[in-house]
Amino acid sequence: MTILIKNGVVFDPAQGIDGEKMDIAIDGDKFVEDVSSPDEVIDAGGRMVVPGGVELHTHIAGGKVNAGRIMRPEDGRKGRIPRGKLTRACSGFSVLNTFATAYTYARMGYTTTFEAAMPPLLARHTHEEFEDTPITDKGALVLLDNNWMTIEYAKSGDLDKLAAYVSWMSEASKAYGIKIVNPGGTEAWGWGKNCSINDPVPGFDVTPKEIIKALAQVNEDLGLPHSIHIHCNDLGHPGNFETTIETYEAVKDIKPSSDRQVMHATHTQFHSYGGSNWGDFESKADEIAKYINKNDHITIDLGVVMFCDTTTMTADGPMEYSLHTLSRRKWSNHDVELETGSGIIPVAYSPKIGVNAIQWAIGLELALLITDPWKMALTTDHPNGCPFTFYPEIIALLMSKAKRESMLETVSEAVGKRALIATIDRELTWSDIITMTRAGPAKILGMSDTKGSLKVGADADLAIYDIMPESFDPTKDYKTIEDKLMRTVYTIKGGEIVVRDGEITATPHGRTFWVNPAGKKAEAARDGMLEDLERMFRDYYTVSMANYPVQDEYIPHGVEIRTEVN
Amino acid sequence: MSTITLSMKQSITVPLEAENITPDNLAGKSVDEIKAVTVYHGNSEAVIGDFFDVTVEGSGNDPASTEIIMKGDLTRVKRIGEGMSAGSIVIEGDCDMHCGAFMRGGKITVKGNADAWAGREMRGGEIIIEGDAGNYVGSAYRGELTGMRGGKIVVEGNAGDYIGEHIGGGEIIVKGNTGVLPGLSMTGGKIIIEGTATMPGGEMTKGEIIVKGGIIDMLPGFKFEGEEEVDGATLKKYTGDLAVRGTGKGILLVG
Repeated sequence: MTILIKNGVVFDPAQGIDGEKMDIAIDGDKFVEDVSSPDEVIDAGGRMVVPGGVELHTHIAGGKVNAGRIMRPEDGRKGRIPRGKLTRACSGFSVLNTFATAYTYARMGYTTTFEAAMPPLLARHTHEEFEDTPITDKGALVLLDNNWMTIEYAKSGDLDKLAAYVSWMSEASKAYGIKIVNPGGTEAWGWGKNCSINDPVPGFDVTPKEIIKALAQVNEDLGLPHSIHIHCNDLGHPGNFETTIETYEAVKDIKPSSDRQVMHATHTQFHSYGGSNWGDFESKADEIAKYINKNDHITIDLGVVMFCDTTTMTADGPMEYSLHTLSRRKWSNHDVELETGSGIIPVAYSPKIGVNAIQWAIGLELALLITDPWKMALTTDHPNGCPFTFYPEIIALLMSKAKRESMLETVSEAVGKRALIATIDRELTWSDIITMTRAGPAKILGMSDTKGSLKVGADADLAIYDIMPESFDPTKDYKTIEDKLMRTVYTIKGGEIVVRDGEITATPHGRTFWVNPAGKKAEAARDGMLEDLERMFRDYYTVSMANYPVQDEYIPHGVEIRTEVN
Repeated sequence: MSTITLSMKQSITVPLEAENITPDNLAGKSVDEIKAVTVYHGNSEAVIGDFFDVTVEGSGNDPASTEIIMKGDLTRVKRIGEGMSAGSIVIEGDCDMHCGAFMRGGKITVKGNADAWAGREMRGGEIIIEGDAGNYVGSAYRGELTGMRGGKIVVEGNAGDYIGEHIGGGEIIVKGNTGVLPGLSMTGGKIIIEGTATMPGGEMTKGEIIVKGGIIDMLPGFKFEGEEEVDGATLKKYTGDLAVRGTGKGILLVG
């Protein structure tokens, strides 16, 4: 099928196009130069035409998302939509069912969604839920940092074996990249403890910093498309910004294998805290932004908090327990054998609570203080900061000082005293926003050839919003942003029209990208590594090694990306 | 003043979801309009006229002066009066679950028994159950943090287990006996049980439970504070539940 989109006002930061009136042509599943007699002509009529959204950090599939759904039946009572002709029944506000997740992302113009934390042992579950999450292209980052094999190799400094292990695990779990969550801390939690970046991991005599450096080096040795993707130590602790900056510094000398960062630090809002306790808790977004502005080896995503009753879920078990001691709400922890762990707890962020209001401010401050939009992706760490359905309102806050001022009147006074938001005048442009939601995350993920751009040869993923950029002032008319970014006029995914006038019109299966690292670096120490791994399975795992890797049947829409470094 | 009478034509096995049967929804409607109001029979959409004979006497659009009288075998009719804000409903027999859920005002009288979740998460108004009530009277539904917050529920007979779970306000009065754990995780309001109760007040942090007929299996998290006169009777006063964090501000009075 060929489609011609006429009269669109196009934003495509990857090509330096900033609000130009032009036509876009699609042939099959790719953008092309031109089509002669298109099957369908869409007259955008001066509306905003942008690449399909790229979500690089969200929690939409797998064990802990499902545990959240089970734990929160009251959340499932929200957002209920009966099944339609094409669509399955929807439910949920913060822990949506898979169909609601897909339809909502598609209606908001998103076409690529990456699950940010897949425990290897639960990889099958994640991929099965991907199969039930239609429309968007997907990928999963596999948790490797609290894994005994990784910790042992980081300790012995045997990076060849670690490279062999990472490549074996990537293939076995059908993962796209390496996720690190509170390195060492989740393992320590098995013993009722936690780790900061320089504390030796109990029983292993190696520090989280050494684990991070080892994985970062191996990531580059293997030439993986994405960098390591880290949830730093000390998440949510007052004063943790120092740990965060020390984490950034730790990988400064490692050379990236391609034109991208060496480390992607996720939900940075939760890692930009000053103070020494909840009483003198304050924003250090300025310190983090200063570092990011000065250095090019780090990218971040925001992890914005908005005020609502949401569900937090993370592989950071100790953090979730400490939240429970504050709120006393129902919670759960899960231990994933010798690989990782997780925790879940509902959280109601309230504008009247000083700490919550400062958290809200920090997420926005980071976006406003970091000068280069390519270095930061818009996320809410869905559903941890708030559900992704808050993106339109967050974008309105970033584009309009007036919106921020009206919201500031409703939040705790603590924001005026211990956060910076009220002092910042910057208002982001459409180009900034489209970079942070499309071109930037695609580049950070190492997918800029196919995603996040309308350039010829890229995947034909595109969104048209009912906004006329040429006659629209986002700084004043912020309510329109909130309204119009919720539902596209058109969303096109892989050359197929999946949303028209805000309604789902097709529900194709999305693809699942996974990386198979090959070459000398991946294979040199494979035999020795396999001996160690077999012993690990024999001695400690509840499953046998033969039953462990995800079979191809579980990802019928998988796309293998082979990297080869010799 | 108008009176709407809904008479069930025959007994059913698959339950009817009848949340639209409220004075707010039916006030001022003609017989034909009422017959066309949606109900769900299991998962299929139907209308009131499929199941009920309808008569209307008098006129008026105001829900507050509208009375709905329901007759016949209503044992499989759920969610009667859900979210109603005014007027009254008289159920001449037994009804199924969730009667008066989310109710904000007005009055429901059940002449027979009401199944579980009567007055679930209600905010105001009054429910009188002349027979027995099932489990979870005035409670929070699965996972919710707060159940009933206002209004009054009177059960003339016995009530089931977990009544007033997560109740935060309002009043539940049971003339007979109750099952296990009334007032579980209570954060406010008042529960009066004339008969007996088993393990009342578990995890309560605030509010008051009076059990006049005595307690079976007292929970260990309650502290004896002395005796107190209530309506001429001498009751033993306890505070708790000390098993949860907080100051044990819940009050348990036992006859």
